[in-house]
Amino acid sequence: MVESMISYCGMVVILAPLSLLVVMGIASLFGLIFQERFIARMTQWTVLVGLVGLVTILAFMLLHGVRFIAVDIGDWVRLEEEAFHFHVKFIFDRLSIPFAILAFVLCGVVGAFAQRYLHREVGFRRFFLLYALFLAGMTFSALAGTIETLFLGWEMVGLSSALLVAYFHEREAPVVNGQRIWSIYRLADASFLIAALVMHHLTGKGDFGAFVGEHPWPDGTIELPAWQALLVGSLLLLAAAGKSALVPFSGWLPRAMEGPTPSSAIFYGSLSVHLGAYLLLRVSPILEASRVLQGFVIGVGVISAISGGLMSRVQSDVKSALAFASLTQVGIIVVEIGLGLYYLALIHIIGHACMRTLQLLRAPTLLTDYHALENAIGERLPQNGSEVTRRIPSRWKWWLYRFGLERGYLEVMLDRFAVEPFLFAFRWADRQERAWTDWLSSEPSRESDQTPLHPEAMLIEAKSNDLT
Amino acid sequence: MVSTVEQGHCAASQTDRIQQAIEHATHYLPSQGPIKVFVHHNTLHAFEDLKFDQGVLKGLEKYGCEPYFSEARYRQEMAKGRIRQEDLESVLIDDLGDEADRLVASFGTRYGLRLAMLCSPIQQLPSRELDWLLSETQVLEEGPSSGDLAKSRRALWDACVYGVSSVPRGWNQASPKVHNGPRDRLIESVGYDTDRWVHEWLIRYCSAFLDQGFAPFTLVDRDRGFLETFLELYRPRWQLLPSWLKRLPEYLGRVKTESRDRLELIVELLQRLGIDEEEWDVFIEQSLLALRGWAGMIWQMESQTPWTPYPMPKGTLIEFLLVRLLLDVQAVEYAQRHQKQVHGRKSTSENPLVEGAFEGALTVKSLAYALFLVALQRKWNASELKSLTPAQWEQLVKEFHAFDGLARRRIFQLAYERRYRVQALDAVACSVARRREQGRRETPWFQAIACIDDREESFRRHLEEVEPRCQTFGAAGFYAVVMYYRGASEAHYRPLCPINAVPQHYVQEEPLFSSIDLNERRQQRRRQLGAWGHFLHASSRTMLGGLLTGLLGSLATFPLVARVLSPRLASRIRGGFGSLVRPPSTELHLERTGTSPGMSDEGLGYSIDEMAKIVIRILQDIGLTDGFSRLIVFFGHGSSSLNNPHESAYNCGACSGGRGGPNARAFAKMANDPRVRHKVAQAGIDVPEEVRFLGAYHNTCNDRVEYYDLDQLPNSHRVLFRSMEASVHEARCRNAQERSRRFESASLGLTPAEALEHVEERSEDLSQARPEYNHATNAMCFVGQRHWTRGLFMDRRSFLASYDPNQDDERGAIVERVLQAAIPVCGGISLEYYFSTVDPEGYGCGSKLPHNITSLAGVMTGAASDLRPGLSQQMVEIHEPLRILFVIETTANIMRRIIDANPPIHSLVENEWVQIALLDPETQRLSLYRRGVFEPYKPIQGTLPEVPSSKEWYHAQRDHLGFALTKASQEVQHG
Repeated sequence: MVESMISYCGMVVILAPLSLLVVMGIASLFGLIFQERFIARMTQWTVLVGLVGLVTILAFMLLHGVRFIAVDIGDWVRLEEEAFHFHVKFIFDRLSIPFAILAFVLCGVVGAFAQRYLHREVGFRRFFLLYALFLAGMTFSALAGTIETLFLGWEMVGLSSALLVAYFHEREAPVVNGQRIWSIYRLADASFLIAALVMHHLTGKGDFGAFVGEHPWPDGTIELPAWQALLVGSLLLLAAAGKSALVPFSGWLPRAMEGPTPSSAIFYGSLSVHLGAYLLLRVSPILEASRVLQGFVIGVGVISAISGGLMSRVQSDVKSALAFASLTQVGIIVVEIGLGLYYLALIHIIGHACMRTLQLLRAPTLLTDYHALENAIGERLPQNGSEVTRRIPSRWKWWLYRFGLERGYLEVMLDRFAVEPFLFAFRWADRQERAWTDWLSSEPSRESDQTPLHPEAMLIEAKSNDLT
Repeated sequence: MVSTVEQGHCAASQTDRIQQAIEHATHYLPSQGPIKVFVHHNTLHAFEDLKFDQGVLKGLEKYGCEPYFSEARYRQEMAKGRIRQEDLESVLIDDLGDEADRLVASFGTRYGLRLAMLCSPIQQLPSRELDWLLSETQVLEEGPSSGDLAKSRRALWDACVYGVSSVPRGWNQASPKVHNGPRDRLIESVGYDTDRWVHEWLIRYCSAFLDQGFAPFTLVDRDRGFLETFLELYRPRWQLLPSWLKRLPEYLGRVKTESRDRLELIVELLQRLGIDEEEWDVFIEQSLLALRGWAGMIWQMESQTPWTPYPMPKGTLIEFLLVRLLLDVQAVEYAQRHQKQVHGRKSTSENPLVEGAFEGALTVKSLAYALFLVALQRKWNASELKSLTPAQWEQLVKEFHAFDGLARRRIFQLAYERRYRVQALDAVACSVARRREQGRRETPWFQAIACIDDREESFRRHLEEVEPRCQTFGAAGFYAVVMYYRGASEAHYRPLCPINAVPQHYVQEEPLFSSIDLNERRQQRRRQLGAWGHFLHASSRTMLGGLLTGLLGSLATFPLVARVLSPRLASRIRGGFGSLVRPPSTELHLERTGTSPGMSDEGLGYSIDEMAKIVIRILQDIGLTDGFSRLIVFFGHGSSSLNNPHESAYNCGACSGGRGGPNARAFAKMANDPRVRHKVAQAGIDVPEEVRFLGAYHNTCNDRVEYYDLDQLPNSHRVLFRSMEASVHEARCRNAQERSRRFESASLGLTPAEALEHVEERSEDLSQARPEYNHATNAMCFVGQRHWTRGLFMDRRSFLASYDPNQDDERGAIVERVLQAAIPVCGGISLEYYFSTVDPEGYGCGSKLPHNITSLAGVMTGAASDLRPGLSQQMVEIHEPLRILFVIETTANIMRRIIDANPPIHSLVENEWVQIALLDPETQRLSLYRRGVFEPYKPIQGTLPEVPSSKEWYHAQRDHLGFALTKASQEVQHG
C-alpha cells in the first residue's frame, strides 16, 4: 500500500518535468508561440507538482521507516542475443530524495527569477525550453536507478548546459566557450559510457541495486575485486572531474559565465557542478572497494580545492571569482566523499548549492554591496586580508599569483599536451592517407579538395581556427 | 659621427610622433570613468566640432558603429505613422535646396526620384542574401495575377541589370570602406584572427591591473607600473604558455635588461610588424580602439579620476599600447610561421571574398535591384529603360549611388525628428495660447521645486492636478549647492554637483547633539555587522571559511526564496532590522566656523555670505523673487534598485550620478536661516518671515518621498504641511501609475495605489532588469516659465527648467547661466541615449543579462570581453533616438549672444547636435534655429485634444503618447 503510494508519487515526480519538456519541445517544433506568462505558469506548476510529490514521498518514507523504493519502468531497449538492455529505473532513497528536492527548489527559484529577468528577451522561449531539458535531466540523474538512466539524465544536463552557455549565439565568445565546454563534457561522457560498459561486462547489469544489496545507501557494498573497482572507479572519477570541473578540467568553469546570470547561477554555481560529486556518492560502494581509488578521489579533491581557492582569490571579476570559489567547495566535497563521510558530503552539497545560487544571482549588485560594507565599516575594505598571504615571501607570491591568474595553466596544459598531440597525430594520418592514395591513383585523389568553400564558411574558418 | 646624430634626431622625431599619435588617439576613446560615478555625456563628444551628420559618419568609420536606425526600422516607423509622407517631403525639399528641381535623365526631378527611393522598400542586403531573394522568392514573378505583368517584371529586371552593368565601373569605388586600415590589413594578411588570442590575455591582465579592490589577492607589486609588472609576471622561462606565446619570456627578458625608452620600444615593435611609417598614426589609433573600453578606462583613471582607490600612474596608456603591441608581435609572427601548415588551404586574403558579400556594399546587382524597385513603384516600363542612352544611364546610376543607404537613413532620421518637432512646437503654441487667456495666479498654497529631469515632469504635472493651488518650478537638481557630501552612515565624501564643477566645500551629516550617544552605539553595531558581513563575503570564497558557510549554506535558502518570490516582503523585513543600526535623527553640518573650507571640523560647511549667494542664485534662476507661499519644498531626486551595476546612471545627473536629497536639504536649511534671509533681502529679494523652506527627497524608482528636518518646522505650518504631504502622496501614486503604463509586466488596469506597490516591488527585486526606464524617451527641454506649459501633457519626455525672462537683464545673464548647465547636460543625456539606441552593441553596452562586474570599475559581457561603456539595451528599448529640442523663452538677440559667447553651447548648436527653438517673451511667437538664423515657426495644427486630467489621456496606453491639454491643473481663480 505504502509502496504503491510512493511509486505513484514517484511517477508524478518523473513525469512532471518530462511533460514540461515535451510540451515546450513540441511547441517550438511546430512554431507555436506561447506567451511569456503562460510559460512561466507552466514552469511554476511543474516545479510545484514535482516538489510536492517529492515531499510526500519523503514524508511517507519517514513515517513508515522505508529507506529504499525502486520504480521500475522496464527495458527501453532489449537485445537478447547481444545481452544488452537499456533498463530504465528510478530509485528513491536517502541520497536521491534530498538531491532531487534541492534540484527542484533551486530550479523553481531560478525559474521565477528568470521569468522576470529575461522578460522581453528574444530568446525567452529558447531559454525555458533548455530550462525544461535541464530540469528533466536533473530529475533523471538524481533519481536514476541504473547507470543507463543516469547517463541519459547526465546527457540532457550536459546538452542544455552547453547550449545555455552559448545562449547569446549572435556573439562569438559564447559560442566558442559553449563549444569548449561541450567538448570537455563529451570527454566526461565517453569516460562514463566506457565505465558503464565495463561494469555491464563485469557484473552483467548496470543496476545500482546490484551493489545496494540488502542495505540501502550509504551502507551498500559491492562484490568486485579491487582492481576491477579501480578500473571502473577511475573512469567514473574522470567523468565526475569533467562534469564538476575538477582539476585538470577546471578551465571551463569561468567560461561558463557567458549565459544570462540566472543560468550561470543554477548550472555552474550550484547544480550541474555538483553532479560529478553526486555521481561519486551514488557509486560510493565502488569507491570503498579500492583503497587506491579512494586515494585518487582524495587527491583530485585536495588539488582542486587548493587550486580553486587560489584562483578564486586572484580573479578580479565577480563571476569568475564565484565560479572558482565553487570549485574549492566541490573539491572539499570530493575529499569528504573520498574519506567516506557521505552524509557530510550530502549536507555540504545542499548548503553550498543554496548559498552559491544566492551569491551568483545577486552578483550584479556587487557595487552596492561593497559600498554598503564600506559605509558600515567606515573605511576602505581591507585588502590582502589574511595574515597567511601577507607573510608569503615575494618570490613565492609571484608564483602563486601567476598560477592563479593563468588559472593553474590547466587550459594551456590540456591544449598543449592533449589536444595538440591528438590533432597532430590525426593530421599526420590524414597526410599519410592522402600521400598514399595520391600515389596509388597517381593523381590528386581527394575530390573534396577541389570543391570551393562558400565564402562565409571561409570567413568562419578563418575566425575559428585556433591553430591547435 | 654625423650619421649617429642624425639617427638620434630621427629617432627623437619618431618617438615624438608616437607620443602625438597616442595623444591624438585618446580623443577617440570612450570617456566614461569607473561605473560607480556614471555621468551621461555625448558618446561622440570627440566629433562635436563636426556637423552631426559628419560626426556620426566619423563614428561609423572609426568604431564601425551605426549612425542611424536601420532603413527597415524607419520603414516600420513609417508604416506605424510615426513618420509621415509629408515629413519626408518637407525634409527632402529642405535638404536638396536648389538641387531639388534638377532633372535626372527622363525620369523627372531629383526630388521626385529620391522621394520614390525613400518610399519603395529598398534595403541594402548582403549580396548573398540578394541572390537568394532573386532566385528563391517571387520578387521577379509575383504580380497581381496577370501573366503579362510577370513577364514585364522580368523584363524590367533585365533592363535594370543591363543598364547598370553598361555603365563603366568607377561609381562604386567611391563608397567609403569601413575597417580598412593598416591594422585590419595586417590581421587579414596572416589569415587568423590574432586579436582573439591577444585580447584574451590582455583583458585578463588589464582586469587584474585595474582592480579597485575586488580580488583579495592583488597583483603583486603593481605600483611598479603596467609594463614593469607585466615583465615581472611573464618573464620567467618555466611557465606553461600557449604555443603562440612561447617566445614571449625570452623577449621580455631582453626588454627588461635593456630597459629602453617606452616610445622607442613602440617604434621597434611597429617596425617589426612591418607597418609603414606613414601609417603609424592610424595603426596606433586602431590598436588602441581595438580594445577601446579598457584603453578608455585606463586613460580616464590616469587623467580624470584621481579619487579612485587605485588610480593609474601617468603613462599607463602608453605602456598599455606597448604591451598590446608586444602581444601582437608574438601572435602575428607565430601565425606567419604556421600559416602554411594548416590544411594546406589558403588564407582568406589570398581568396578575396566575393565583393561586398558581408558589408552590404553597393554592387551592380544591389544597385539594379534598387532601381528595379523604384521602377516598379514609379511604373516605368522596360522599353522606356531600354531606350536610355549610355549617358543617361550613367546619370541615373550616379543619382542612385549618390543617394545610398546612409543618405537615405539620414533623410529618414530628419523626417523622424521633424514629426516630433512639429508636434512639440504645435503643442507649446496651443498651450501658450490657452494660458495667455488665463490670468496670473494668486499667492499659491505651496510651492514645489524639482529637478529639471524629464522624470519629474509627470510628478510635477500630477502634483498640479492634485492641488491646483500649488505652483511648481524646475532647477538643476544640485540647487547650486556644490559640495562634497558625507552622510552619517557613509565612509567617504562624494561630490554632489555637476561633473564640470569642482567642489570647494565639504558638508557632513551628523547626529543631533542629544542623540550622539545613541548614534555611537548604532555605529558600533553597524561596524560589527559590517565587519562580519565582509568576513562572510570574503571567506565564502576561501577554503575553510567556505567550508563553514557551505555547511550552513542551507540557511541561505530562506533569503533566496523570499527575495525572489516576494521582494517587497523581504525588503520590509530587512528594513525592520536595518532600523536597529540606522543613524538616529541627524542634521547637516552646514555652517562653517573657520575661515577657509576644508575637511577639518572647522572647515566644514559654508559661510553666511556663501549661503546667501546660493539662495539668491536659485531664486533668481527660477524667477521666484516674490509671491512666496508659506511653504516651499525642494525635491532632490535619486533612484535605488538592486542587481543594477548602472545604478548611478539612474540618479541625479546634476549631482554626478549621486542622490540629490542632501542638496535640497542643505538649500532649505540655508534659506531658512534669518541671517541668510537678511543678506538675500539686501539683494532685493524679500522673503517674508512666515515663509519656510523644506528639503525632500524623491526616489524616482519606487516613487517614495521623504522629508528632511521636519522637527524644525514651526507649529503654525504643520497643517499646511499635512495638506501638502497628502497632495504629494496622491501625486506620487498617480506618477507611479503613469510610469507603470510603460512596463510591459505591469497590467494596464493598475490603480494608483497598486501601481505604487508595483514600482516599490520593482526597486527591491533582484531579478528586475528594468527597475525604471530612467531618461528613456527624453526628447525636449523647455526653458521658461512653467505658466506656459502648465496643464500640457508631455509624456515624461521633456526636461523642464524654470526661468522668468521678465526678471532677467537685457543681456540675458540669468538665462545664460541656466543654459550653461542645461544645454550640455540635457544634450549629453539625449545624445548618449541616441547612440546607445541606434547601435546598442557598438555604442551601448548590449544586453544587461550577461553583464559581469570586473575590477569594480566597469562591466564586461560574459566571462571576458572589452569593457562596455554606454547604456544597456534594457535601458533604451523604448527610447526614440532624437536630437533634443530646446524651447527657450528668450529673444533671438540674447540667444545669439549666448551661442557665440559659450564655446560648448556654440559647437552643440551650430553643428546641429541639438535643436533650438525660441518662445518670444513679448509676443509668445515661436521661432526655430536653422542654418544660423531664427526662422519664425508657423504652427501646423492649431488645436490639441483636451482631457479632464492626465489619467484619461494615458489610461490603458502602452506606447508613446502625443501632447494633450489637461484641465485639472488650471489654477482656481480666487480672490
